[in-house]
Amino acid sequence: MKSDAFGRFHPAVCFLYFVGAIGFGVVIQHPAYAAAGCIGAACYYLVLRGRAAWKRVLSLLPIFALLSVINPLFNTAGSRVLFFVFGRPYTWEALCYGMAIAAVFVVMMLWFSCYNLVMTSDKFTSLFGNLIPALSLLLVMVLRMIPSFLRKASQIQHARQSIGKSVGEGSRISEKIRHGMTVLSALTDWALEGSVVTADSMRARGYGTARRTNFQIYRMTAADWTLLVLIVLLAAAVLLAGGTAAAYTPVLSIEPLTWGFAAYCLYVLIPTALHVKEAVLWRISISKI
Amino acid sequence: MKKSALFSILVIVLLIPATLYLGSRLSGHWYYLTSTLIIVEIMIPFFLAFETRRPQARELVTIAVMAAIAAASRAVFAFIPHFKPITAIIMITGIAFGPEAGFLTGAVAAFASNFIFGQGPWTPWQMMAFGIGGFLAGLLFHNRKLTAKPLWNAVILAVYGFFSILLLVGPLLDSCTIFTMGTEITPAFVGTILLSGAPVNVTHGVSCAATMLLFSKPLLEKLERLKTKYGMMEARRDGV
Repeated sequence: MKSDAFGRFHPAVCFLYFVGAIGFGVVIQHPAYAAAGCIGAACYYLVLRGRAAWKRVLSLLPIFALLSVINPLFNTAGSRVLFFVFGRPYTWEALCYGMAIAAVFVVMMLWFSCYNLVMTSDKFTSLFGNLIPALSLLLVMVLRMIPSFLRKASQIQHARQSIGKSVGEGSRISEKIRHGMTVLSALTDWALEGSVVTADSMRARGYGTARRTNFQIYRMTAADWTLLVLIVLLAAAVLLAGGTAAAYTPVLSIEPLTWGFAAYCLYVLIPTALHVKEAVLWRISISKI
Repeated sequence: MKKSALFSILVIVLLIPATLYLGSRLSGHWYYLTSTLIIVEIMIPFFLAFETRRPQARELVTIAVMAAIAAASRAVFAFIPHFKPITAIIMITGIAFGPEAGFLTGAVAAFASNFIFGQGPWTPWQMMAFGIGGFLAGLLFHNRKLTAKPLWNAVILAVYGFFSILLLVGPLLDSCTIFTMGTEITPAFVGTILLSGAPVNVTHGVSCAATMLLFSKPLLEKLERLKTKYGMMEARRDGV
Protein backbone atom coordinates (compact mmCIF):
# COMPACT_ATOMS: atom_id res chain seq x y z
CA MET A 1 0.00 0.00 0.00
CA LYS A 2 1.31 3.41 -0.86
CA SER A 3 1.32 5.95 1.93
CA ASP A 4 -1.46 8.50 1.78
CA ALA A 5 -1.62 12.12 2.91
CA PHE A 6 -3.71 11.44 6.02
CA GLY A 7 -1.73 8.39 7.12
CA ARG A 8 1.46 10.46 7.26
CA PHE A 9 0.10 12.63 10.06
CA HIS A 10 1.03 11.95 13.68
CA PRO A 11 -0.47 8.64 14.94
CA ALA A 12 -2.21 10.44 17.80
CA VAL A 13 -4.09 12.62 15.32
CA CYS A 14 -5.04 9.64 13.16
CA PHE A 15 -6.11 7.58 16.17
CA LEU A 16 -8.25 10.40 17.54
CA TYR A 17 -9.82 10.89 14.13
CA PHE A 18 -10.78 7.20 13.89
CA VAL A 19 -12.15 7.18 17.44
CA GLY A 20 -14.34 10.11 16.47
CA ALA A 21 -15.38 8.71 13.10
CA ILE A 22 -16.24 5.25 14.43
CA GLY A 23 -17.85 6.70 17.56
CA PHE A 24 -20.14 9.02 15.60
CA GLY A 25 -20.79 6.26 13.06
CA VAL A 26 -21.99 3.85 15.74
CA VAL A 27 -23.99 6.30 17.82
CA ILE A 28 -25.82 8.41 15.23
CA GLN A 29 -28.64 6.50 13.57
CA HIS A 30 -29.93 9.45 11.56
CA PRO A 31 -30.24 8.31 7.92
CA ALA A 32 -28.51 11.38 6.41
CA TYR A 33 -25.58 11.04 8.82
CA ALA A 34 -25.30 7.31 8.16
CA ALA A 35 -25.25 7.93 4.40
CA ALA A 36 -22.62 10.65 4.78
CA GLY A 37 -20.55 8.31 6.95
CA CYS A 38 -20.80 5.53 4.35
CA ILE A 39 -19.68 7.87 1.56
CA GLY A 40 -16.84 9.39 3.57
CA ALA A 41 -15.49 6.04 4.75
CA ALA A 42 -15.88 4.41 1.32
CA CYS A 43 -14.09 7.32 -0.40
CA TYR A 44 -11.16 7.07 1.98
CA TYR A 45 -11.02 3.30 1.59
CA LEU A 46 -10.93 3.75 -2.20
CA VAL A 47 -8.09 6.26 -1.79
CA LEU A 48 -6.17 3.77 0.34
CA ARG A 49 -6.67 0.62 -1.68
CA GLY A 50 -7.42 1.86 -5.20
CA ARG A 51 -9.16 -0.64 -7.48
CA ALA A 52 -8.96 -3.50 -4.98
CA ALA A 53 -11.25 -1.57 -2.64
CA TRP A 54 -14.30 -1.90 -4.91
CA LYS A 55 -14.60 -5.60 -4.16
CA ARG A 56 -14.86 -4.97 -0.42
CA VAL A 57 -17.20 -1.98 -0.77
CA LEU A 58 -19.51 -3.91 -3.09
CA SER A 59 -19.43 -6.99 -0.89
CA LEU A 60 -20.99 -4.90 1.88
CA LEU A 61 -24.10 -4.19 -0.23
CA PRO A 62 -25.68 -7.66 0.11
CA ILE A 63 -24.91 -7.57 3.85
CA PHE A 64 -26.68 -4.22 4.04
CA ALA A 65 -29.73 -5.62 2.22
CA LEU A 66 -29.82 -8.79 4.33
CA LEU A 67 -29.56 -6.96 7.66
CA SER A 68 -32.29 -4.50 6.63
CA VAL A 69 -34.71 -7.22 5.57
CA ILE A 70 -34.11 -9.40 8.62
CA ASN A 71 -34.77 -6.74 11.27
CA PRO A 72 -38.59 -6.54 10.86
CA LEU A 73 -38.79 -10.30 11.43
CA PHE A 74 -37.68 -9.73 15.02
CA ASN A 75 -38.80 -6.19 15.64
CA THR A 76 -42.55 -5.99 15.05
CA ALA A 77 -43.06 -2.50 16.43
CA GLY A 78 -44.29 0.11 13.95
CA SER A 79 -47.60 1.38 12.63
CA ARG A 80 -47.64 0.78 8.88
CA VAL A 81 -47.94 -2.96 8.30
CA LEU A 82 -46.66 -4.08 4.91
CA PHE A 83 -47.60 -7.77 5.18
CA PHE A 84 -47.64 -10.64 7.65
CA VAL A 85 -44.91 -13.24 8.09
CA PHE A 86 -45.86 -16.32 10.14
CA GLY A 87 -48.73 -14.29 11.56
CA ARG A 88 -46.40 -11.50 12.71
CA PRO A 89 -46.63 -8.02 11.23
CA TYR A 90 -43.81 -6.88 8.95
CA THR A 91 -43.76 -3.12 9.32
CA TRP A 92 -42.36 -0.29 7.23
CA GLU A 93 -40.93 1.43 10.32
CA ALA A 94 -39.03 -1.68 11.38
CA LEU A 95 -37.67 -2.02 7.84
CA CYS A 96 -36.39 1.57 7.97
CA TYR A 97 -34.90 0.88 11.37
CA GLY A 98 -33.20 -2.21 9.93
CA MET A 99 -31.78 -0.11 7.10
CA ALA A 100 -30.41 2.42 9.60
CA ILE A 101 -28.77 -0.30 11.71
CA ALA A 102 -27.38 -1.96 8.58
CA ALA A 103 -25.94 1.39 7.45
CA VAL A 104 -24.35 1.85 10.88
CA PHE A 105 -22.81 -1.60 10.52
CA VAL A 106 -21.46 -0.80 7.03
CA VAL A 107 -19.98 2.50 8.25
CA MET A 108 -18.28 0.69 11.10
CA MET A 109 -16.83 -2.02 8.85
CA LEU A 110 -15.53 0.56 6.34
CA TRP A 111 -13.91 2.74 8.99
CA PHE A 112 -12.29 -0.30 10.58
CA SER A 113 -10.94 -1.36 7.18
CA CYS A 114 -9.32 2.06 6.83
CA TYR A 115 -8.10 1.93 10.43
CA ASN A 116 -6.36 -1.41 9.81
CA LEU A 117 -4.46 0.08 6.87
CA VAL A 118 -3.50 3.35 8.56
CA MET A 119 -2.95 2.45 12.23
CA THR A 120 -0.31 -0.25 11.84
CA SER A 121 1.04 -2.00 14.92
CA ASP A 122 4.19 0.18 15.06
CA LYS A 123 2.05 3.31 15.24
CA PHE A 124 -0.17 1.79 17.89
CA THR A 125 2.69 0.79 20.16
CA SER A 126 4.56 4.06 19.67
CA LEU A 127 1.38 5.84 20.70
CA PHE A 128 0.73 3.79 23.83
CA GLY A 129 4.33 2.89 24.74
CA ASN A 130 4.57 5.64 27.34
CA LEU A 131 1.09 5.22 28.71
CA ILE A 132 1.13 1.45 29.25
CA PRO A 133 4.80 0.42 29.04
CA ALA A 134 4.53 -3.20 30.23
CA LEU A 135 1.52 -4.06 28.10
CA SER A 136 2.86 -2.46 24.94
CA LEU A 137 6.19 -4.21 25.45
CA LEU A 138 4.20 -7.45 25.74
CA LEU A 139 2.37 -6.61 22.54
CA VAL A 140 5.55 -5.78 20.63
CA MET A 141 7.09 -9.08 21.74
CA VAL A 142 4.05 -11.08 20.65
CA LEU A 143 3.90 -9.32 17.29
CA ARG A 144 7.56 -10.13 16.69
CA MET A 145 7.23 -13.72 17.90
CA ILE A 146 4.25 -14.74 15.75
CA PRO A 147 6.12 -14.60 12.39
CA SER A 148 9.23 -16.11 13.94
CA PHE A 149 7.19 -19.01 15.39
CA LEU A 150 5.47 -19.57 12.07
CA ARG A 151 8.85 -19.84 10.34
CA LYS A 152 10.04 -22.28 13.00
CA ALA A 153 6.84 -24.33 12.69
CA SER A 154 7.36 -24.75 8.97
CA GLN A 155 11.00 -25.75 9.59
CA ILE A 156 9.80 -28.43 12.01
CA GLN A 157 7.25 -29.63 9.49
CA HIS A 158 9.90 -29.88 6.78
CA ALA A 159 12.21 -31.75 9.13
CA ARG A 160 9.46 -34.24 9.87
CA GLN A 161 8.75 -34.55 6.17
CA SER A 162 12.35 -35.52 5.50
CA ILE A 163 12.06 -38.49 7.87
CA GLY A 164 8.80 -39.56 6.30
CA LYS A 165 6.52 -38.34 9.06
CA SER A 166 4.47 -35.82 7.14
CA VAL A 167 0.72 -36.00 6.66
CA GLY A 168 -0.63 -36.15 3.15
CA GLU A 169 -4.02 -35.61 1.60
CA GLY A 170 -5.21 -39.12 2.29
CA SER A 171 -4.45 -39.30 6.01
CA ARG A 172 -7.16 -39.63 8.58
CA ILE A 173 -8.15 -36.58 10.63
CA SER A 174 -6.85 -38.11 13.86
CA GLU A 175 -3.44 -38.58 12.22
CA LYS A 176 -3.47 -34.97 11.09
CA ILE A 177 -4.32 -33.74 14.58
CA ARG A 178 -1.57 -35.89 16.10
CA HIS A 179 0.91 -34.52 13.58
CA GLY A 180 -0.14 -30.95 14.35
CA MET A 181 0.22 -31.59 18.07
CA THR A 182 3.76 -32.92 17.63
CA VAL A 183 4.74 -29.84 15.67
CA LEU A 184 3.11 -27.58 18.24
CA SER A 185 4.81 -29.43 21.07
CA ALA A 186 8.26 -29.09 19.49
CA LEU A 187 7.58 -25.45 18.75
CA THR A 188 6.56 -24.79 22.36
CA ASP A 189 9.71 -26.46 23.68
CA TRP A 190 11.93 -24.37 21.45
CA ALA A 191 10.04 -21.15 22.20
CA LEU A 192 10.03 -21.60 25.98
CA GLU A 193 13.74 -22.43 26.15
CA GLY A 194 14.37 -19.35 24.02
CA SER A 195 12.25 -17.23 26.33
CA VAL A 196 14.66 -17.94 29.20
CA VAL A 197 17.54 -16.54 27.17
CA THR A 198 15.50 -13.48 26.23
CA ALA A 199 14.48 -12.85 29.83
CA ASP A 200 18.05 -13.20 31.11
CA SER A 201 19.28 -10.86 28.44
CA MET A 202 16.61 -8.35 29.38
CA ARG A 203 17.71 -8.49 33.02
CA ALA A 204 21.39 -8.18 32.11
CA ARG A 205 20.62 -5.06 30.13
CA GLY A 206 18.85 -3.52 33.07
CA TYR A 207 15.17 -4.16 32.41
CA GLY A 208 13.13 -2.95 35.35
CA THR A 209 15.84 -0.79 36.90
CA ALA A 210 14.48 2.44 35.51
CA ARG A 211 11.59 3.77 33.54
CA ARG A 212 11.57 2.34 30.04
CA THR A 213 12.34 4.89 27.38
CA ASN A 214 11.06 4.31 23.90
CA PHE A 215 12.10 5.29 20.45
CA GLN A 216 9.88 8.01 19.04
CA ILE A 217 9.92 8.53 15.32
CA TYR A 218 6.84 10.72 15.24
CA ARG A 219 6.81 14.40 16.24
CA MET A 220 3.84 16.71 16.37
CA THR A 221 4.43 19.35 13.70
CA ALA A 222 2.48 22.53 13.02
CA ALA A 223 0.43 20.69 10.39
CA ASP A 224 -0.45 17.98 12.94
CA TRP A 225 -1.66 20.57 15.44
CA THR A 226 -3.73 22.30 12.75
CA LEU A 227 -5.43 19.07 11.75
CA LEU A 228 -5.99 18.14 15.40
CA VAL A 229 -7.68 21.49 16.10
CA LEU A 230 -9.81 21.09 12.98
CA ILE A 231 -10.90 17.59 14.01
CA VAL A 232 -11.77 18.69 17.55
CA LEU A 233 -13.68 21.75 16.32
CA LEU A 234 -15.72 19.77 13.79
CA ALA A 235 -16.49 17.04 16.34
CA ALA A 236 -17.59 19.69 18.86
CA ALA A 237 -19.78 21.28 16.19
CA VAL A 238 -21.48 17.94 15.48
CA LEU A 239 -22.08 17.39 19.19
CA LEU A 240 -23.35 20.90 19.91
CA ALA A 241 -25.52 21.47 16.83
CA GLY A 242 -27.80 18.53 17.62
CA GLY A 243 -30.33 17.33 15.10
CA THR A 244 -28.80 13.87 15.10
CA ALA A 245 -31.65 12.04 16.82
CA ALA A 246 -33.82 9.67 14.85
CA ALA A 247 -36.43 7.28 16.21
CA TYR A 248 -37.95 4.67 13.94
CA THR A 249 -40.49 2.76 15.99
CA PRO A 250 -43.40 3.01 16.66
CA VAL A 251 -43.53 5.94 14.19
CA LEU A 252 -40.76 7.51 12.17
CA SER A 253 -39.51 10.72 13.76
CA ILE A 254 -36.35 12.02 12.20
CA GLU A 255 -35.03 15.40 13.28
CA PRO A 256 -34.48 17.98 10.51
CA LEU A 257 -30.88 18.58 9.49
CA THR A 258 -28.97 21.43 11.08
CA TRP A 259 -25.58 22.98 10.31
CA GLY A 260 -24.14 20.15 12.39
CA PHE A 261 -24.65 17.94 9.35
CA ALA A 262 -22.35 20.15 7.28
CA ALA A 263 -19.70 19.80 10.00
CA TYR A 264 -20.16 16.02 9.98
CA CYS A 265 -19.78 15.86 6.17
CA LEU A 266 -16.54 17.86 6.43
CA TYR A 267 -15.35 15.57 9.24
CA VAL A 268 -15.81 12.32 7.32
CA LEU A 269 -14.29 13.76 4.15
CA ILE A 270 -11.06 15.06 5.79
CA PRO A 271 -8.80 12.14 4.72
CA THR A 272 -10.14 12.14 1.15
CA ALA A 273 -9.85 15.92 0.91
CA LEU A 274 -6.22 15.75 2.06
CA HIS A 275 -5.52 13.17 -0.62
CA VAL A 276 -7.22 15.20 -3.34
CA LYS A 277 -5.34 18.34 -2.27
CA GLU A 278 -2.05 16.49 -2.52
CA ALA A 279 -2.93 15.01 -5.92
CA VAL A 280 -3.90 18.44 -7.27
CA LEU A 281 -0.69 20.02 -5.97
CA TRP A 282 1.28 17.22 -7.59
CA ARG A 283 -0.40 17.82 -10.94
CA ILE A 284 0.25 21.54 -10.76
CA SER A 285 3.89 21.07 -9.86
CA ILE A 286 4.31 18.61 -12.76
CA SER A 287 2.75 20.99 -15.27
CA LYS A 288 5.17 23.71 -14.17
CA ILE A 289 8.21 21.60 -14.99
CA MET B 1 -1.08 -2.95 44.37
CA LYS B 2 -3.34 -0.92 46.65
CA LYS B 3 -4.01 1.69 44.01
CA SER B 4 -5.05 -0.81 41.37
CA ALA B 5 -7.30 -2.70 43.79
CA LEU B 6 -9.01 0.55 44.72
CA PHE B 7 -9.44 1.39 41.07
CA SER B 8 -10.96 -2.03 40.33
CA ILE B 9 -13.55 -1.53 43.05
CA LEU B 10 -14.24 1.96 41.72
CA VAL B 11 -14.78 0.59 38.21
CA ILE B 12 -17.15 -2.13 39.32
CA VAL B 13 -19.13 -0.02 41.76
CA LEU B 14 -19.31 3.28 39.88
CA LEU B 15 -18.20 3.19 36.28
CA ILE B 16 -20.20 0.20 35.02
CA PRO B 17 -23.55 1.21 36.54
CA ALA B 18 -22.96 4.77 35.31
CA THR B 19 -22.34 3.48 31.78
CA LEU B 20 -25.47 1.34 31.93
CA TYR B 21 -27.51 4.26 33.20
CA LEU B 22 -26.25 6.69 30.57
CA GLY B 23 -26.63 4.11 27.82
CA SER B 24 -30.26 3.49 28.70
CA ARG B 25 -31.04 7.21 29.02
CA LEU B 26 -29.56 8.50 25.79
CA SER B 27 -31.65 8.72 22.67
CA GLY B 28 -31.60 5.83 20.26
CA HIS B 29 -30.42 2.39 21.28
CA TRP B 30 -26.76 2.57 22.00
CA TYR B 31 -26.48 -1.15 22.51
CA TYR B 32 -23.14 -1.62 20.84
CA LEU B 33 -21.41 1.38 22.41
CA THR B 34 -22.73 0.69 25.92
CA SER B 35 -21.94 -3.01 25.84
CA THR B 36 -18.47 -2.48 24.40
CA LEU B 37 -17.67 0.20 26.97
CA ILE B 38 -18.67 -2.19 29.75
CA ILE B 39 -16.50 -4.95 28.25
CA VAL B 40 -13.55 -2.55 28.16
CA GLU B 41 -14.26 -1.38 31.71
CA ILE B 42 -14.23 -4.96 32.97
CA MET B 43 -10.84 -5.54 31.32
CA ILE B 44 -9.19 -2.37 32.67
CA PRO B 45 -8.58 -3.68 36.24
CA PHE B 46 -6.78 -6.76 34.89
CA PHE B 47 -4.48 -4.69 32.71
CA LEU B 48 -3.93 -2.10 35.41
CA ALA B 49 -2.98 -4.73 37.97
CA PHE B 50 -0.37 -6.08 35.55
CA GLU B 51 0.92 -2.61 34.74
CA THR B 52 1.27 -1.36 38.32
CA ARG B 53 2.88 -4.61 39.47
CA ARG B 54 5.88 -3.90 37.20
CA PRO B 55 6.23 -7.52 35.96
CA GLN B 56 9.67 -9.10 35.91
CA ALA B 57 11.33 -9.94 32.63
CA ARG B 58 10.74 -13.69 32.95
CA GLU B 59 7.03 -13.32 33.59
CA LEU B 60 6.65 -10.89 30.72
CA VAL B 61 8.50 -13.10 28.25
CA THR B 62 6.65 -16.27 29.27
CA ILE B 63 3.25 -14.63 28.81
CA ALA B 64 4.39 -13.23 25.45
CA VAL B 65 5.57 -16.67 24.29
CA MET B 66 2.33 -18.37 25.29
CA ALA B 67 0.22 -15.66 23.63
CA ALA B 68 2.29 -15.92 20.44
CA ILE B 69 2.03 -19.74 20.45
CA ALA B 70 -1.73 -19.46 20.88
CA ALA B 71 -2.00 -16.98 18.01
CA ALA B 72 0.33 -19.00 15.77
CA SER B 73 -1.38 -22.33 16.57
CA ARG B 74 -4.15 -21.45 14.13
CA ALA B 75 -1.64 -21.41 11.28
CA VAL B 76 0.08 -24.63 12.43
CA PHE B 77 -3.27 -26.42 12.10
CA ALA B 78 -4.17 -24.70 8.84
CA PHE B 79 -4.30 -28.10 7.08
CA ILE B 80 -7.31 -29.10 9.20
CA PRO B 81 -10.14 -26.68 8.42
CA HIS B 82 -12.00 -25.12 11.40
CA PHE B 83 -9.56 -26.63 13.91
CA LYS B 84 -8.77 -23.92 16.44
CA PRO B 85 -6.58 -24.96 19.38
CA ILE B 86 -6.07 -21.32 20.48
CA THR B 87 -8.51 -21.43 23.41
CA ALA B 88 -7.10 -24.70 24.73
CA ILE B 89 -3.58 -23.26 24.81
CA ILE B 90 -4.82 -20.15 26.60
CA MET B 91 -6.64 -22.33 29.16
CA ILE B 92 -3.54 -24.47 29.72
CA THR B 93 -1.50 -21.30 30.33
CA GLY B 94 -4.07 -20.23 32.90
CA ILE B 95 -3.92 -23.63 34.58
CA ALA B 96 -0.12 -23.60 34.75
CA PHE B 97 0.50 -19.96 35.69
CA GLY B 98 -2.67 -18.81 37.38
CA PRO B 99 -5.83 -16.90 36.43
CA GLU B 100 -4.21 -13.51 35.87
CA ALA B 101 -1.62 -14.89 33.44
CA GLY B 102 -4.41 -16.80 31.69
CA PHE B 103 -6.43 -13.65 31.21
CA LEU B 104 -3.49 -11.66 29.88
CA THR B 105 -2.44 -14.43 27.50
CA GLY B 106 -5.94 -14.69 26.09
CA ALA B 107 -6.52 -10.97 25.71
CA VAL B 108 -3.09 -10.26 24.20
CA ALA B 109 -3.31 -13.26 21.84
CA ALA B 110 -6.66 -12.03 20.54
CA PHE B 111 -5.48 -8.44 20.15
CA ALA B 112 -2.18 -9.37 18.49
CA SER B 113 -3.71 -11.84 16.05
CA ASN B 114 -6.17 -9.15 15.01
CA PHE B 115 -3.25 -7.08 13.76
CA ILE B 116 -2.91 -9.86 11.18
CA PHE B 117 -6.57 -10.73 10.60
CA GLY B 118 -7.90 -7.18 11.01
CA GLN B 119 -9.23 -5.21 13.96
CA GLY B 120 -12.95 -4.62 14.03
CA PRO B 121 -15.95 -4.11 16.28
CA TRP B 122 -15.29 -7.64 17.52
CA THR B 123 -11.81 -6.92 18.95
CA PRO B 124 -12.83 -6.06 22.56
CA TRP B 125 -15.24 -9.00 22.61
CA GLN B 126 -12.62 -11.47 21.45
CA MET B 127 -10.13 -10.13 23.99
CA MET B 128 -12.72 -10.51 26.73
CA ALA B 129 -13.90 -13.98 25.64
CA PHE B 130 -10.43 -15.51 25.33
CA GLY B 131 -9.22 -13.68 28.43
CA ILE B 132 -12.07 -14.90 30.58
CA GLY B 133 -11.59 -18.44 29.21
CA GLY B 134 -8.00 -18.45 30.44
CA PHE B 135 -8.95 -16.73 33.69
CA LEU B 136 -11.65 -19.22 34.62
CA ALA B 137 -9.51 -22.25 33.79
CA GLY B 138 -6.78 -20.82 36.01
CA LEU B 139 -9.24 -20.09 38.80
CA LEU B 140 -10.56 -23.65 38.77
CA PHE B 141 -7.48 -25.76 38.10
CA HIS B 142 -4.36 -23.73 39.02
CA ASN B 143 -2.27 -25.43 41.73
CA ARG B 144 -4.83 -28.16 42.11
CA LYS B 145 -4.21 -31.85 41.83
CA LEU B 146 -7.11 -33.47 40.04
CA THR B 147 -6.61 -37.22 40.08
CA ALA B 148 -3.63 -39.54 40.24
CA LYS B 149 -4.21 -40.78 36.69
CA PRO B 150 -2.96 -38.38 33.99
CA LEU B 151 -5.41 -39.76 31.45
CA TRP B 152 -8.35 -38.88 33.67
CA ASN B 153 -6.97 -35.40 34.16
CA ALA B 154 -6.84 -34.90 30.40
CA VAL B 155 -10.41 -36.17 30.07
CA ILE B 156 -11.63 -33.81 32.81
CA LEU B 157 -9.89 -30.87 31.14
CA ALA B 158 -11.29 -31.87 27.73
CA VAL B 159 -14.85 -31.99 29.06
CA TYR B 160 -14.31 -28.70 30.87
CA GLY B 161 -12.86 -27.10 27.74
CA PHE B 162 -15.76 -28.24 25.56
CA PHE B 163 -18.43 -26.92 27.88
CA SER B 164 -16.68 -23.68 28.77
CA ILE B 165 -16.51 -22.84 25.06
CA LEU B 166 -20.07 -23.91 24.40
CA LEU B 167 -21.50 -22.01 27.38
CA LEU B 168 -19.12 -19.09 27.97
CA VAL B 169 -16.54 -18.26 25.31
CA GLY B 170 -18.76 -18.94 22.29
CA PRO B 171 -21.80 -16.99 23.53
CA LEU B 172 -19.52 -14.10 24.50
CA LEU B 173 -18.16 -13.99 20.95
CA ASP B 174 -21.73 -14.15 19.61
CA SER B 175 -22.94 -11.32 21.85
CA CYS B 176 -20.88 -8.96 19.72
CA THR B 177 -23.13 -9.90 16.79
CA ILE B 178 -26.24 -9.45 18.91
CA PHE B 179 -25.26 -5.94 19.95
CA THR B 180 -24.02 -4.76 16.55
CA MET B 181 -26.95 -6.03 14.51
CA GLY B 182 -29.97 -5.92 16.79
CA THR B 183 -32.41 -3.05 17.01
CA GLU B 184 -34.52 -4.65 19.70
CA ILE B 185 -32.98 -7.27 21.95
CA THR B 186 -35.79 -9.82 22.04
CA PRO B 187 -35.48 -13.45 23.19
CA ALA B 188 -36.26 -14.60 19.65
CA PHE B 189 -33.43 -12.50 18.20
CA VAL B 190 -30.91 -13.60 20.82
CA GLY B 191 -31.99 -17.22 20.30
CA THR B 192 -31.57 -16.99 16.54
CA ILE B 193 -28.07 -15.53 16.79
CA LEU B 194 -26.97 -18.08 19.40
CA LEU B 195 -28.45 -20.93 17.37
CA SER B 196 -26.76 -19.78 14.16
CA GLY B 197 -23.50 -19.54 16.09
CA ALA B 198 -23.92 -23.03 17.58
CA PRO B 199 -22.23 -25.05 14.77
CA VAL B 200 -19.16 -22.81 14.97
CA ASN B 201 -19.10 -23.07 18.75
CA VAL B 202 -19.44 -26.85 18.67
CA THR B 203 -16.50 -27.28 16.26
CA HIS B 204 -14.54 -24.79 18.35
CA GLY B 205 -15.39 -26.77 21.48
CA VAL B 206 -14.52 -30.10 19.88
CA SER B 207 -11.14 -28.83 18.70
CA CYS B 208 -10.49 -27.45 22.18
CA ALA B 209 -11.39 -30.80 23.73
CA ALA B 210 -9.17 -32.69 21.28
CA THR B 211 -6.28 -30.36 22.03
CA MET B 212 -6.81 -30.80 25.76
CA LEU B 213 -6.94 -34.58 25.41
CA LEU B 214 -3.72 -34.83 23.41
CA PHE B 215 -1.78 -31.77 24.43
CA SER B 216 -2.69 -30.79 28.00
CA LYS B 217 -0.42 -33.34 29.68
CA PRO B 218 2.77 -32.66 27.67
CA LEU B 219 2.27 -28.91 27.68
CA LEU B 220 1.49 -28.73 31.40
CA GLU B 221 4.59 -30.81 32.09
CA LYS B 222 6.70 -28.48 29.98
CA LEU B 223 5.40 -25.44 31.82
CA GLU B 224 5.88 -27.09 35.23
CA ARG B 225 9.42 -27.98 34.26
CA LEU B 226 10.05 -24.39 33.27
CA LYS B 227 8.96 -23.33 36.75
CA THR B 228 11.24 -25.79 38.56
CA LYS B 229 14.19 -25.40 36.22
CA TYR B 230 14.31 -21.64 35.88
CA GLY B 231 11.96 -20.36 38.57
CA MET B 232 9.68 -18.77 35.99
CA MET B 233 6.46 -17.11 37.09
CA GLU B 234 7.21 -17.53 40.79
CA ALA B 235 6.64 -14.95 43.47
CA ARG B 236 8.99 -11.99 43.19
CA ARG B 237 12.25 -12.44 45.04
CA ASP B 238 14.61 -9.68 46.06
CA GLY B 239 16.70 -8.26 43.29
CA VAL B 240 15.02 -10.29 40.58
